[in-house]
Parts: sequence; C-alpha cells; structure tokens
Amino acid sequence: MEKPKIALYWCASCGGCEESVVDLAEKVLDLINVVDIVFWPVALDFKLEDVEKLPDKSITASFINGGIRLSEHEKVVKLLRSKSQYVIAYGACSAWGGIPGLANLYERDEIFKRVYFEVPTVVNEEGILPRTYEDKNLGIKIEVTEFLPRLLPLDRVIDVDYYIPGCPPTPDVTWNAIQILLSGNLPPKGSVIGASSRALCDECPLNKTKPEKLLIKEFKRVVEITPDPEKCLLVQGLPCLGPVTRGGCGALCINAAMPCTGCFGMLDRVSDYGAKALSYLASVLDTEDEKEVEKQMEKLVDLVGRLYRYSLPASKLGGKVIKRR
Amino acid sequence: MSFEPKIVVFACNWCTYAALDLAGTSRMKYPANFRVIRVMCSGRIDPQFVLEAFKQGADGVIVAGCHPGDCHYINGNMKTLRRMTMLRKMLEDLGIEKERFRLEWISASEATKWVQVAKEMVEQIKALGPLKSKLEVMV
Amino acid sequence: MSEKPRIGVYICHCGLNIASTVNVKEVVEYAKNLPDVIVSRDYVFMCSTPGQDLIKEDIEKYNLNRIVVAACSPSMHEPTFRAVLENAGLNKYLLEMANIREHCSWVHEDKTIATEKAKDLVRMAVAKARLLEPLKEPEFEVQPNVLVLGGGVAGMRAALELAHWGFNVYLVEKSPTLGGRAALIGWIESKRRGSDIVNAMIKGIAQNPRIHVFTNSELVNLSGFVGNFTARINVNPRYVNEKCTLCGECSLECPIDVVNEYEFGLGRRKAIFIPFKGAYPQTYVIDYRVCVKCGECLKACRYGAIDLNDKPKTLDVKVGAVVIATGYDPYRPFMGEYGYGLHKGIITLFQLERILDPEGPTHGELIIGGKVPKSIAFIMCVGSRNTTPNAKNYCSRMCCTSTIMNAIRIKEKYPDTDIFIIYKDIMTYSSDERLYEEAGKRLIKFIRFEEPPTVSVGPEGLFVNVYEITLQEEIRIPVDAIVLSVGMVPRRDLPDLITVTRVGCGTDGFIREAHLKLRPVEAPASGIFLAGAVTGPKNIIESIKMGSAAAARVTALLSKGRITVEPLTATSDKDICSGCEVCVGVCPYGAISMTEMDGKRIARVEETLCMGCGACVAACPSGAMQQKGFKDSQIMAQVVASLGGV
Repeated sequence: MEKPKIALYWCASCGGCEESVVDLAEKVLDLINVVDIVFWPVALDFKLEDVEKLPDKSITASFINGGIRLSEHEKVVKLLRSKSQYVIAYGACSAWGGIPGLANLYERDEIFKRVYFEVPTVVNEEGILPRTYEDKNLGIKIEVTEFLPRLLPLDRVIDVDYYIPGCPPTPDVTWNAIQILLSGNLPPKGSVIGASSRALCDECPLNKTKPEKLLIKEFKRVVEITPDPEKCLLVQGLPCLGPVTRGGCGALCINAAMPCTGCFGMLDRVSDYGAKALSYLASVLDTEDEKEVEKQMEKLVDLVGRLYRYSLPASKLGGKVIKRR
Repeated sequence: MSFEPKIVVFACNWCTYAALDLAGTSRMKYPANFRVIRVMCSGRIDPQFVLEAFKQGADGVIVAGCHPGDCHYINGNMKTLRRMTMLRKMLEDLGIEKERFRLEWISASEATKWVQVAKEMVEQIKALGPLKSKLEVMV
Repeated sequence: MSEKPRIGVYICHCGLNIASTVNVKEVVEYAKNLPDVIVSRDYVFMCSTPGQDLIKEDIEKYNLNRIVVAACSPSMHEPTFRAVLENAGLNKYLLEMANIREHCSWVHEDKTIATEKAKDLVRMAVAKARLLEPLKEPEFEVQPNVLVLGGGVAGMRAALELAHWGFNVYLVEKSPTLGGRAALIGWIESKRRGSDIVNAMIKGIAQNPRIHVFTNSELVNLSGFVGNFTARINVNPRYVNEKCTLCGECSLECPIDVVNEYEFGLGRRKAIFIPFKGAYPQTYVIDYRVCVKCGECLKACRYGAIDLNDKPKTLDVKVGAVVIATGYDPYRPFMGEYGYGLHKGIITLFQLERILDPEGPTHGELIIGGKVPKSIAFIMCVGSRNTTPNAKNYCSRMCCTSTIMNAIRIKEKYPDTDIFIIYKDIMTYSSDERLYEEAGKRLIKFIRFEEPPTVSVGPEGLFVNVYEITLQEEIRIPVDAIVLSVGMVPRRDLPDLITVTRVGCGTDGFIREAHLKLRPVEAPASGIFLAGAVTGPKNIIESIKMGSAAAARVTALLSKGRITVEPLTATSDKDICSGCEVCVGVCPYGAISMTEMDGKRIARVEETLCMGCGACVAACPSGAMQQKGFKDSQIMAQVVASLGGV
C-alpha cells in the first residue's frame, strides 16, 4: 500500500516554520513512517523537475509556509497546487502574510532603494538593482525572479484547503493538525486546524485573575514594567492581544510574562484582525477624553505594526494605499 | 464626467438618523453622494465596517452619533470616540487621508449641521480624488 | 438560516412625495433583478389599507419570507409594516425599510441621481433582508409588588399612588421614622410647612393595608431583573414595641446622649428617643449604634414596651419594580468654613429652620448662639456653584428661595432685626420671584459678591467681609449671627446604595437618570425608577411630583401583568466566547456577567437588562457577541451593497 505523499515548501519566510516541523522531535519519525515526503527543499534534495514529473493530484497534501513575495514563489505554489489534493497554508506568513507582510507599507521602489542603497552597511557604488544579467559571450543569462509589488498571503494566489496558524505553529498544533488530516475526518474547507476555536483567554492561566470590569487607565510598554507573572497582563497595562487572538499555543508567551502579539491570528467570526484588535483596545481604555486617547495611543507606539504585525496582507486594505502620481 | 465621491455614512438611530430625517422633512438640499447605514447606537460601529467600506470602493466614510453626554444608551458614543480616534490614526498610517474619514456628533435637531458637513465633505473629497484607483485591493 | 430567502420588495410613491423625484417604476424593475427577490411592486401609499393588503396577499400567494418596503423613514412607519407582517403570519422582525423619501426624494433635485440613489438604497435593504432572522420578543410575568426606598415625601407619594393602583408596596426607610427632611424643614409656597404635608401622607400610609412600612431598615441586596426582582431587606431592631405610650420616662433615665441629627446638629438626644413629634411609627426607638444595653430604660418603662432582646431580621421580597427616593444630605461646612464651628452664632440654613420651628429646640424663638441676634448675615451659595475650592459645581436650587423666605419670616416676627443677604446671584425662580421683591420692601439688604466673603471671628465679635461689586469696595459688616445658606449634596451612604442597586451616578455624585429628555425618572437599568432629590437638588413640590411620575411609570410598566422586551439584544455564542471579559465593563447597564457553562467561563447577557446599543458587539474581540437584527454579517452586507455589491 503506497504511503500518502506530502510536500513542504517555503516562500518568504524566516525558516521558523521549517524548524517547528523539526521540533516535532521523535514524532517526526512517526510521521515519516506513514508518509512519503516528495519535496522539502530545506531538508531533502528533491528538485522542482521531480515535482513537475508527478501526476496531478498525486501529492496528498502540500504544506506551504511563507508569504508570496517573488514570482518564483508564485510559480512553485501554483505547481504544487496542481499536483496536490490538499494545500495547507502552514504558519502565519502563508496564512495572512506574516511579519514580512509589513513590507506592504512601502512601495517596491522604496524597499529597493532602502535595501540596495541606503542601508549603512551596504556598499553599492554602481547603483546595481536586481536585474537580469546577460553575457552573450559566455552564453550566460541569469534571470532574477521578480519582486512582486505586494506580498500576498497564499490564498490570494492559489486555492487553500486548510490553515495551520502560528508564528511558527507550535509542535502541538502541528501534530494536532496532522492527526486531523490523517484521520480522514476532514473539517469544512477553509478551516483553521490544529488550534482552538476560542481566543487565547480561554486557555490563559491568568484569565481568572481579571477583575469584574476590565477598564485600563494606561497602556504600558513591555520595557516599562516588570509584570507580576500571576496577574493578567492586560490588567497591568500591557496591551496583550490574547482576547483577539486564536488560542491553541498553550499561552507560551504569557507564561513567560510577555503579552500576546497575535501570531495565531484572528478568530472565525472576525474579518480584519487589526481592526478588531483596535476596537478591543479602545473599548477597554478607561477615558472619555480625546486627548487622553491620543496620549494612550502614543503609548501603543505603532498601531499598524503592533496590530497588523502578522496579518497586514490579509487585512481589508492589504497594506498602505498606493498613491498614483 | 467629473468625479462623484461615494461616501458611506454610519448613523445612529436616535440622533444622526433623525437629523437626516429632519433635513428631509425640511426639504433641505444636499449632494446625493451619501449612502446611510442605520445602527441603534454609534457604539455599535465596528472599525471593521469602516475598513470594509474603503475596501469596497468608498471614497469617504462618516461615523456619526449623539453629542457626548446625550447618548441614548448613556455612553455608547464615548466608545465610538475612542475607537474612531484610534482608527483615524491607523487609517492615516495606511495612507488614507484624514479628510476621508470623519467622526461627527449630530443631534436630532441639527439638520443644518448635517447639510453643512455633507457639502463640505463632498468638496474636500472631490479635491482629493477617488480612493478606489489608488487602492490596490488584493483580489 | 435553513430556508432560502424569498423577498418581496414594495416601493411607495407616497403620492407625489417620492414619485415626483424618483422614477418608481424604474426602481421596481431594478429590484426584480436582484437575487432572491420574488416580487417587486409599487403602490401610491404603501401605508394605506390597500397598500398593506397588497403585501399581505403577496406573502400568502408567493410564500414570501422577507419584506423590503422602500418608502418614508422607518421612524414613521416601521411599526405599521411590522404589524402587516405579523398579521400575515410572518415574524415582524423580517422587515427592512429603505428610506427613499426623507433621505432621497425630499433632499435631491436631479431625478436621475435620485433614482440611482433609490436603487442603491433598495439594494442595501435587500442585502440586509436576506440575512434577517425571525426574532422572538421575550415575555415575562411580573410581580405586582413595588419596592420604594426612602420614606420622605417623594417615596411616600409614590407609595400612596402605587397602592391606589392596586400594587403592594414595600416602603423601606433607613431611619426609625417616615417623613424624611420635609418633616423637619421646608415650606410649600411659604404657607404650608413641610411637616403638614408629611403628616397628611403618613396618615394615608398608616391606613393603607397595601403599604408595608419597614423603618429602621435597609436594602442589602437586589437581584433579578425587571418584573422579577428579589430584594433582601434587613430590619434593624427597634427594641421598643407598640405598647409605648410616648411618656418619655425612659429617655430621662438613659445615660447616653449624642448629637441630635434631627436638629441638624443643634442640641443632643438620648440613645432612646423619638425623632420628632409626628414620627411614624409612633413609638420611641433605641439607636442600636450607641446603646450600651445598660437597662435603665427598661427599669423606667411602666408599660413593658422595651425589649432589649429584639433581634435584626432579614426578609426577601419579590417585586416587579423599584423606586429609589432616598433623598439628599445638607451640605455640611467643614470646621472653619466661613467660621463654622468656631462661633456659636454661625449656623446653617437647616439649623435656622429648626430654630424657627415652634416644635424645634428653641420653641420657635430666634435664639442663635444663646442670644436673640439684632443683626444677621446670610451667606449664600455655601458649598455650591464653585464659590470655594471644596464647593460643588452646581446650584442647589432651593436655597435662595428658602433663605429669603426665612429672612422674611424673621422680619415678620422681629421687625427690627438687620438682615443682610450676601449673594452671588438670586435664583428665586418662577413665582418665588415675589419673595425677592417682598424682601426688598422689608428692607432686607442684598449685597452682591464675586469673590466669596470671609468671616472674622474675634474678641470684637463676628464680621462678614465682602468686596461689594457696585461700590467696588471691601465692606466689613458686624453681625450677631451668620446663617450659611448651604445646598444639597448626595447622601454620604449613596455609594452603598449604588453598589446594591447597580445604578450609576453622574459627575455631580447624584444618581443619574437614564436620559434627561428621552427617559426621565428612570435609572438606566430596567425596572428601577428615581424620585426626589436623589437625582439632584429640588424642593418639596418638585420631589412630590417626581414621586408621582415614578409611580405612573411603574404602573405603566407593571399594569398588564406581563412585559415584553424588544429582542434587538446582544447575545454571546457559547461556542466561541473565550471568557475574556471585555464586554462586561463595556456595558453601561451591567447586563453582562460571567457564568459557567459546560466547564467554560463565558459571558452571558441578561436579556431584560440589555437595551440593544451594541457597544459590546463592537468591542468583542472574537466576534462571539452579536446583536440580533444588527449582526456583523447583516451590516457588512449593507456596506458591500452600498458600494454596488449584492
């Protein structure tokens, strides 16, 4: 009996999602006993041609992490889509764009200018930008993949069947998701799997320390206070995004006395993470004075960066509005 | 054909919606660029609605409710104030000019104020141009 | 939603009101092509009987399950069309209206533009209608009993009227007697004393079998919701029973004496005492807070009226509504404020009224600080109107009238007394203006200040120093007595009441009415009403009127034996709620609480307390909280439709 085939691929990512698969530790061995990995660039030596040779839909599941930033990414994920029965967006970047998605606050020209000219440690006297290099004498043509104008989440490029949340998904969540997929008892298409259907507060050990009414007078920055690890961090003034973030991670950050930053993304009934996070924080702020609101907003420092840290490309606006000249 | 902005208005039932009704019964005239969505209290208005409006192609959005202290539900408008103050900043950071998003307090008797705000906003947004052509929506 | 929507769209001409600007036929055609629209029609006057019948017939004929009416403002005819649906057997909340009159035909001139806008508005209404769900109006049986807190004139008036309408009333008063402040001070239009009114009310109450009076009692817990509250009342022991003949022998023997609060600090009383002559119940009472249980009174009593083993009792009563009429406290100047407490000749307005009362500590003789004053200065706005840093920022309403009334009274009995009224503004409103005129005729001197006056207390005597505006000079007035016209402040124990009843107070510290114009006399929480000075300074007549108003509101609420509430309330999805508690603090009505369900701690909305603002829905970080009739999906559909989507 042939083992089901799986593929893993990385787009614009940090490598953390790949590591989280490795973090399954011994369970990885259980996994490779039951599946056949046919493509995994970070770990195995299969080439793209090997995938191209496979019949359509012969890969049972492809796990793709990272956001779509380059035309190369687009090409490969489209290929994997045609060869796979199920495509799973693995991790925050492929699900919603992730941290690299914050690049959508800048135009491509601005990004290139910064990276290739302005960064203090770069020396680029000839002002070279990524471009196709051709040397007819040597018969060489090196084409550099195109840097797409926006970073896109996976589902804006191909049809996605399931999402596994996290930055990266924890080993538990990854293992849960795999179990669900192997069970054959598949949830509706488009579901987020492996994690909770409730927000983080549901599993947070500090939730029960909240007073009856949640009203925060002042937001504090993480560097400003040493929080009491036994008391709800929001109550202490840290803008914890636990209430607006999907649970399932075991409240890892909270257990280290750090407020949640939202890497498990939004819940099913919410359509824009940053907007909901903003509404929630504004609602618990205890003031009726506009000036005070502005003052507390400054304490939050960078609204877009903080509230759309993992989800800007998937947000309703997708990034900064482009100005046409 | 000159540009006619599309502006979505979220109006609270007790104050702003009534003011718009009064403008109607008084036969006041104002530009037809507005589409009004009625909620019971401005406190119901979720920032997600505002973003959806811009995503769908609105050139401007108005969130309107009762004056502070007059909210039919005691202090719903105070929550609106906090949320929209923060949202305005976030919209600016995302490149949407602050003239495109207004938070207004319009009481049931202030039909004149509504007409004034309406005319002003249309002029301002006409000068800014359409947002849709600027907005690259990820489809 | 299990069934597929079958929408009927009805466009009204409203005679020419809509039709002269909007091309109704075009809108009808447009609506026909919208998804899920089965029928699209127009009629001259949709709200007329034939218009309504049109809808009713279509519902039956075409099996419609959602109705859109494009016509005037819903504030005009939403109830009309809701009734049509109900009569046709459809849930009345499956209606959505598009306002193409007030918001369209009446405000735009260009017919093409107006017609396009009307189409957009219809498309938006259809988008929402598609997602509407039938809603059930919760109905409850109510208790035909009312709890009235406070036995002053406002509370007593409310109790009498409620009993008249057939309700059982539990009248709970913290002090040992009914009567409140008006039993001791106050006049109605300078003719009748407050105590006359009080006596008349007490008589009515004593005879009324439906009014159950609990004095020396407090509300310690209020649970439940409108129509079905459970109130826990603590009855503190009186130690004296109905055998008491008011002989007063016990009082003579009692070794404990304390400052007499019923004389506003003038004089003292014993631990066993009767608050004032017309007190009700008509028995002495032992102040359990200061009694040392020495038993002297027991020995002195020949009638066996004293029982030192009397114990506190607690009882729970079920009531349909609560009226809070707990009144106010007089502002108490702090030691040294305008010399108060430093000289016996400096008293407050309340103390003056007690002095002038024939039943008072001086039997009606004007004796202040041990002597009859030949000159008196009244200092106005003490503790009010931001005159001093510790003063309240509001005007206490009744003190100008009261001061001038008392000044005139003094002049009547002691015409040679020199009276100065040192004032900031004279607020003798309404017909009380005549008192101001009369005061002038009686040569009462009015001296105006902007900077508050100061009082000097020394071996030379009492002086009032004031910078007089018109003279532009500092003047120094020697006087025998000074009366500080103090205002009304919230009761010191109001915070406890607020905790128990979960009502809110305004920035001035008084209990806040739900809305000054739209919902007066009501507390924000359903089923709780307010009367008298508990909401802010007012005089006796105003307090009585408010008691009457509160009684009328309660009667309107409870008279049918059942109440229904509008179902546009918030509800939390127990499968999504994470128990984050953000909603609890956002709700201004305290309608949300945390509860255990299936081992999870989640939010629960008390439907009868929810007023349907939706603030919790926008705040809910997980989308678990939704408002019926205004769900995220319904509003989003309108947003999409407003910009061309369907």
